[in-house]
Parts: sequence; structure tokens; C-alpha cells
Amino acid sequence: MSRVSTPRGYRDTYRDIEVSFKVNGREVRVKVKPYERLLDVLRNKLGLLSVKEGCGRGECGACVVIMNGKLIPTCLTLAVRAEGSEILTLEGIAPEGKLHAIQKALLDTYAMQCGFCFPGVIMASKYLLDKNPDPTEEEIKDALDGNLCRCGSYLRFIKAVKLASKYIKEGKVFFDESEVMR
Amino acid sequence: MRAVSSIPEYYKIVEEVFEKYKDEEFLFVGRYSQRWDSIEKIKGRALFTADFTKLYSNLVYVHSVRTKHAHALIKSIDVSEASKYPGVLRIITAKDIPGINDVGYVIPDQPLIADRKVRYVGDIVALVVAEDPLVAREAGELISVEYEPLTVITNPLDVVDLMTLKEKPHVLVHDERGSDILVHFKIRRGDVEKAMREADVRVEGVYKTPFQEHAYMEPEASIAIPEPDGSVTVIASTQCPFDVRRAVAKVLGLTLNKVRIVVPAVGGGFGGKEDVANEVAAKAALAAVFTGRPALALHTREESIIGHSKRHPAIAWYRHAAKRDGTLLAVEANVVMDGGAYASLGPFVPWRATVHATGPYKVQSARVDVVRVYTNNVYAGAFRGFGNPQVIFAVERQMDRLAEELGMDPVKLRLKNILRVGDETVHGQKLTEEHGVGLEEAVMKAVEASNWFELRRKYSEITGPVRKGIGIALFYHGNSIGVEGADYSSVTLIINRDGSVTIRTGLTEFGQGSTWGLALIAAEILGVPPSYFKIENPDTSATPDAGPTVASRATVMGGAATVVAAYKLRKRLNEVASQILGCDPDDIVIRAPEVYCSSDPNRKTRWADVIEQSFWLGVPLQEFGYYRAPRALWDEETGQGAPYITYTFGAVVADVEVDVETGLVRVNKLYTAYDIGKVINRMGAELNAEGGAIQALGYALMEELIHDKEGRVSNPNLSTYYIPTIKDVPEIIPLWVEARYRKGPLGAKGFGEPSFNAVAAAIANAVAHAIKTNVAELPITPERVYMMLKSRQT
Repeated sequence: MSRVSTPRGYRDTYRDIEVSFKVNGREVRVKVKPYERLLDVLRNKLGLLSVKEGCGRGECGACVVIMNGKLIPTCLTLAVRAEGSEILTLEGIAPEGKLHAIQKALLDTYAMQCGFCFPGVIMASKYLLDKNPDPTEEEIKDALDGNLCRCGSYLRFIKAVKLASKYIKEGKVFFDESEVMR
Repeated sequence: MRAVSSIPEYYKIVEEVFEKYKDEEFLFVGRYSQRWDSIEKIKGRALFTADFTKLYSNLVYVHSVRTKHAHALIKSIDVSEASKYPGVLRIITAKDIPGINDVGYVIPDQPLIADRKVRYVGDIVALVVAEDPLVAREAGELISVEYEPLTVITNPLDVVDLMTLKEKPHVLVHDERGSDILVHFKIRRGDVEKAMREADVRVEGVYKTPFQEHAYMEPEASIAIPEPDGSVTVIASTQCPFDVRRAVAKVLGLTLNKVRIVVPAVGGGFGGKEDVANEVAAKAALAAVFTGRPALALHTREESIIGHSKRHPAIAWYRHAAKRDGTLLAVEANVVMDGGAYASLGPFVPWRATVHATGPYKVQSARVDVVRVYTNNVYAGAFRGFGNPQVIFAVERQMDRLAEELGMDPVKLRLKNILRVGDETVHGQKLTEEHGVGLEEAVMKAVEASNWFELRRKYSEITGPVRKGIGIALFYHGNSIGVEGADYSSVTLIINRDGSVTIRTGLTEFGQGSTWGLALIAAEILGVPPSYFKIENPDTSATPDAGPTVASRATVMGGAATVVAAYKLRKRLNEVASQILGCDPDDIVIRAPEVYCSSDPNRKTRWADVIEQSFWLGVPLQEFGYYRAPRALWDEETGQGAPYITYTFGAVVADVEVDVETGLVRVNKLYTAYDIGKVINRMGAELNAEGGAIQALGYALMEELIHDKEGRVSNPNLSTYYIPTIKDVPEIIPLWVEARYRKGPLGAKGFGEPSFNAVAAAIANAVAHAIKTNVAELPITPERVYMMLKSRQT
């Protein structure tokens, strides 16, 4: 944050802007300041807490979501940019009580460690599989290169994306949560 | 077993349970299972500390105003303008602290808010509490501090001389202590001078390792909530809730029962969330007390990197002496560890380095001196490995150079000298069957799996732009905390009326599955599947103090306490079931949901019925388990004794290639063979083996926190401080040896940290093999490879 050069309380001089967009299939309308980050609006105003802040600089991938079919870091995106868009976060990828194939595959490969990077990893994997249902190992690595995982579950991510790809090809997109926890 | 009154009951129980299960096929232990928190985490619903902001609509924000100088006296602080800034609720400086202004983890040398002087760039001079985080930051810019700059010390060798270890005249970082040497540990064994004289071969070298950043994905956070009774609850991202409680109580001037620390999901720790959590929780707690509102202290990534502990850098001089046949005769070492501005875990890290300073070898004669000094760098503390990786790098490079000097294969040289059952460690601790000593087996497994002998020869002959190398490194790692402190653990095991099971412990899960092993152990002893279990989040007002979640001690120490509790519960349940089924209590088999007689499986009842019956009979369905490690021994002057209860052993082989035109090192394969005793949590063991190896690969090849001459951090974010991405990860082949520790829970030994220990050294040895030169410094960046190649040519 740079040295303050604007008059005190300058932010109050900015009016709220109303932004409408669709998130996880739901129409939302929120008032935002022009300088507000999409990350903060999703988390604080819409309660979508799966979107994590790991660095605030677009370096770690923990906050990525799919907006209009593109994978974007919400920490580097102003909330006003969301106007008219369609956003998918981790909360929206599977119905209540169900797991998406990617989530199931991550559990099947025992990839879980601290879980902080998982929302970003799952969204990046979803973005990849939407475009490329049968990725090679190199393509998986390319797709997840922007998602840092310090616990080091990377090898499991590769296996999980391959497994998820197989599930989806077999038409198994959703699984019951109870199938995993036995 | 006959009762001996001086031996605590819990030792007997742990050993009895070990004996009972040692030849049994385990139902849950050592098998794969899904952790209780899997669904919440995979759905993105798990709440990490910062996520709790959603519960509080009237939250205030705490911003830390940090010094602009790494070393200076504070002449005055003017907060008047900042106080008037709209939206600011309160400015807090050192004089406002109601209790004691200190958050030092082991010794009181670290003010929460600097008062008299600043010692590194992360030092805080004031806290701003405001309605909005941006307002807090802006107001922070209006605080003016008058400093009198002092000479900045960034090189630990400006504090001590490497060869004499004498303190040099310099501007003291801790003038109030009168010396910047924090600790000095020693080993004295045998006649080193004589051995050096009589040896056929001597090898000498200086090795350097860098500051390493934990870079856990979740930056530090705390939310403090003022309670109606004058107490404070703090939700904190920490590994050690009871230590945080002590720190917060001290700063606020409250008794311990007026501070409650709750630990939600934690996004990684690796040792880094030991001490900084004290600072962050205390900041939030101060703000909450002063404003009467819930307060959030949340670090940015940059603050996290600048403001929390790092792995200690080390500069190590070593001299090894051996006979022509490879028998090690003596080791001499001087190690200087840069502790940065504060002690943190610094009184303990160099001790672990000292204990392990000669590696897992039989060493007849040794002289080891390890000192840890203060500088104006970011302070150093705990990080997975805790002083061991630094000395392993030096020792294992020395072993390879010795092998070269002797014309011996590095594996053969090591096999000639490694510790086996019946050998004495350099501290005079005799290793027995009881300890579980599986080093030789680990070496053999790694060597066979990697096809060592063939590749070692084949790679030596490669020429051209891409060279290949294969390297090995061994280690041992003392379990739990040894003589560092009170080594105890405790759990409460509760069987609920519906038969589900709750585990309460102050041990913390921060990613690597530390507490899941407890559930698996209890599941095995009680006879109920892991899916029946829930592990409560640590809460100092509800979960028992189990000591800190550090030193790979959760499974070993917490597991032993769990064995005690589960054993007692099982005994009672067997009696109830015996009443129901009419067979002997020892004849009862529990395989929840069924319970039956072993002699007649048709006589059976339900687990739920046994529990319900116990309830009506008034048989207690909860049990407290406590375990304290046998006392460790250490002579301060000679380093002789029995520093740890037992040791984890391992051998790592790295297969690498080096592009001699670009200097880029690529690790292709890592064979990691670990003797961790009985594997309890297989998923956790594998994930640690992979995750520890990947962090260590970063340590070997790319990670180095850099300070400029003014003590400022040059790479305080993730685009300049590199950590491995998915593209850097090699194939990792985990291999297990299970030399069981008889006094551990079901024979288990510790494994969080050892997964890091020898990987960087193995990579360094492989690089040295590939480019046929000494590798004396980590990380092995392309620049360093270039310099090494250049120096080889001249």
C-alpha cells in the first residue's frame, strides 16, 4: 500500500456502484466501491469463503474462480469487472450432499493435507477438464502451475485429475458424499 | 508384568499394548482412511481463522506499523495525527500494554511492540485499530517515529569468528544481554587430536545453508473476542494453543483461565506457526480489549515473510578423519547459526543440530561446537527438521568427499560406519533392539530401488551438455523434544451414547494429519472403525494441554497418551460385554458395529448396546490419557548422555540431471526410505514423505530469503521467493522400514520432520556427482552451478 497522497477519508467520496452478476447459478446484486476487489466481495458480501487469499498478488492461485469461462485470480480483479458476468466458485461445482468428480478423485488419491489451496486447485482442474476432458500429464502440470501447494500434494493432484477425467468420461460427474466417508 | 511402584502406570500400559499387538494383523493402523475433516475441506467449507470474520459484523481491524530500520534506537513516537484519522479507533504503542510487553517463545527477549530499540525490519512500533483495514493502513503511514540508526549486522560472522567461535567487537543487537551469542552447545568425546594425527585421510570443508521461509499457504491470522466476564477468546492459526494462551495472558496481564484459544482449520505450519502465533494473537487481543469489539489481525503475504521466523542459516566448518579402509575415526565441527533478531526457538534448534552433528554414524572421537548468534536479520526459529538438515548437508557432503578421497563408493563408506543395534551414538547412548534401528535396511532399500551401483558408474561417464548424477544422504532424528522441555501429552477419549467417539486433545492438526494417528490408534484398541471418530479442534478451555504440536511428536507422544486412554476404556467395555454375553472379558472381540465372544462368535451383541448398557450401569465412557516421555540425559560440557528416547532413521537417493549450459538442475527421482517404526497413519506418512521432499527440493535448489546490507528483505513475496510448483516435482518413491520402538504407541516413531531432513543433501551429492565438483552451498541455483563449473575449469 503506497503512502497516502489523497485527502483523508477520500474513499467516502467514491459512491457505491451497484453490480449485478450470476454466481453459482444465482443472480446477485451487490453494492461495491470502485476500488473493491472481487475477492473481498465474494468472501465478505456473498459469504463465499472457499475463495481464499494466500498472497493478494496473483501469485499463489488460492483465490481463482471461473468467470465467463476463464480462470481468474479474484485478488487482482476489481469487483466492478463482474458486472453481467457468470462466476463459478467451489461452492457451486456440486449440489448439496454431492461431490464433483474432481473432489471425489482428490479424496480417492488421498491428496488432502491442510486444504487451503484446494479450492483454487479444484477450480483450476475444473477449468482444465471443461476445455480438455482428457489431458496429458504435461497439460495437467501446465494447468496447475499457478496453484501453489506448500504441503506438497502435487503428485496426488496429477493422479486426481487423471482419475476425475476418467470418472467424467464414464458419465460419473457427481458422487454421494457418503460414498467416500466409510 | 509385576508392578513396580516407581514406574508410572502409563509406561506399563504402552509396553503391554505393544506386546499384545506386535504380531497382530492391524484393522485400521497402517491402512488408508479418510480423515474426519475431509468433506468440509474438499467442499471448501472448512473455516480457517480469517473465515470467522463472517460471524462478526462489528469487527475492527489491526494493522501493524513496522520499523523502517533494521537496527535503531527509538527516540520518540508521535501518533497524534494518526489518532485523528477518520475511522481510527485506537493507536496502541508499547506504553499502552497492560501486562508484560513480551512475546518471546522460550526466553523473554522479544517485545510485542518495540519500545527502546528495533532489531529487524519486522519489528512493530505501533498498532492501529480501525473500522476498516485500509483506514488502518493509511493511518499507520501518519505515525512518525524518530530513530537513531545503528550499524546493521546481517552477517553472523561479524558476530563470531567461525574458527575460534569467539565473539567479535560489534554493535550489540541485544545490548541488554551483553553478548550476541545466545547459546553454545558442545560434544566432547575421545581424543580428537590423536585421532586426527593418526588418521590416513582427512577431509575439511565449509558448508553454507540459507534462510528458508515456511510459505504456508494461509498467512497468519487471529480474531480476538472480548467476553462479558472480562476474559478474551482468540481464534488463532497456531500449532501450540497453550503457548499462545500463555503469551496472550502475559501481554494482557490476565490469568491463564481468562484467556481461551481456539484453533480452527490451519493452512499449514511446518514449525512456522509456533511462535509468530503468539504475536498475532496478542495483537488481536489487545485491540479487542481496548475497543470492546471483536478484532482481526491478519498478515499480508509480505508481512508474513518479513515478520515470522525462518529456518536458521548455518555456516559449518567440518573436518573428518578416517582409516584407509573407511572407518571413521574423528569428526570436528564448528557451526554458526544465524538466529536473526530474536531467540524464538533458538535455544533449542542449535541443540538438535549439535546432537545430530556427526550424522548417524559410529564416531569414536568428536569435538562439536555449535553457536547461535543474534543479527539484525529476520529471526530464525522452528522449521521442519529443526537444525538437523543444516548439519546433515555438511556431514553428508563430507562423507561423499571422504569416499572420493578414499576411492570408495559412497554407499559402501556409509555402510561401514552406520549405527546398528548394539552401537553407541556419539553421545554414548547405546542403541538396542528396543529403540528400533532400521538404518541399514533403509539404506539397502533405497540403494536397490534406485539401482545405485549401476547408475553411479554409468552417470560418471556422461559428457555433453546434460550431465546426470546420483547421490545418497542418510540421517537420524531424535524423537520428540528430548531435553528441551517437559515432554508430556494428553488426550480425552469420549464414547458418546450413540457409540460415536470424540477425541479431545490440545495437539493441533495443521495439514499433515498429526492427530489422525490418534484416532487410528484408538480405533484399533477399541475395535471401532475410524469413521466413528471426530477429533475436536483444540480449545484451551475444553481440550487438555498436550504440549506443543512440534518435533514430530503428535503420533508418538499423543499416540502414547491415546493408548493409555483407549486401553482403560477397552478394559471396562470388555467387562460390560462379558456381563452381557457371559464369556470371559479377555474373550471379548469388538468389531463395531458387532461385539462377540472369540470362543463362540455366535454369542454376539451390538456395539451400541454395549455402550447403552455401560451408560445405565454407570460405567464411565470417557477416559483421560496422559503420557510423559522418559527423561532424556545430556551433559552440557561433553554432550554425553541419552539425548532422545529413540531415533527415526532414513536414507534418501536423488537422481538428477544438470544442464551445464544453463546451470539448471532437475531432480528426476527421489527414493526416500524411512524407518519410522510402525506406520500408524499410512496416508499421513506418504503425504509427509512427498511434502517434506518437495519442501526440501525447494531448499536444495531455489529457496533463499535474501537480506540487503540494510537488513531489508529483498524477496518478500511469492514471485521473488520461489517455492516448488507442480512442474518442479520429481517422481518420489517412498520406501518404508518398520523397526518398531517398543516404548512407542504400537511401536511408532515420529515422522513429520524427518521427511525433510536428508533430501537436500542427497540432491547436493547427486549434483556434485553429475558435475564432478564440490557443492558447498545451498540453494544450488543456476548461478551457483555456473560458478562451480567456472571454478572447476580454472
